[in-house]
Amino acid sequence: MSATVGKKAPDFTADAFDHGEVRKVSLADYRGRWVMLFFYPADFSTV
Amino acid sequence: MGTEVLAVSVDSVDTHKGWQEKELSQMVRGGALFPMLSDSGGRIGALYGVYDSDKGLDQRGRFLIDPMRIIQSMEIVADPVGRDISEALRQLRALQHQQATGDYMPCGWEPGKPTLSKEQSQSGDIWKEWKTRHAF
Repeated sequence: MSATVGKKAPDFTADAFDHGEVRKVSLADYRGRWVMLFFYPADFSTV
Repeated sequence: MGTEVLAVSVDSVDTHKGWQEKELSQMVRGGALFPMLSDSGGRIGALYGVYDSDKGLDQRGRFLIDPMRIIQSMEIVADPVGRDISEALRQLRALQHQQATGDYMPCGWEPGKPTLSKEQSQSGDIWKEWKTRHAF
């Protein structure tokens, strides 16, 4: 499954650093909301 | 806009924490306002077609996902070039406007500029409504 406009976004779950804490984040947690998902090569780089 | 932002790289949560404390908090008071996900092994990046397995890194991909979890927009930019958030926000506004009204947004649309009905957008009469100056 790959990302295609007009098709379902692939679901995922991952550890996240969020407001000082580590927690699990899943795309499914955001059902009913718009999401801007962005990737970047590395921390300490030009996001 | 009411939109959640999720940031993803292959870095560990400990590295995210270090970056947050050493650098991001110098840029934005309190640091990043959104979750920073750890994409171990590029698993998520591979699902979205942005994982570069030679470098072991996720490329600069950006996806707008609607409330039904449908991808409505995507963009990938080469590593050395940072992004401009304004185009992503313009697309988000246009997509939200489209879902709210059914209207179509012609080239160069931004809030305040004319929209087209679905019928108009397929009528061959767009030239009556849309002028070249609307693209800029």
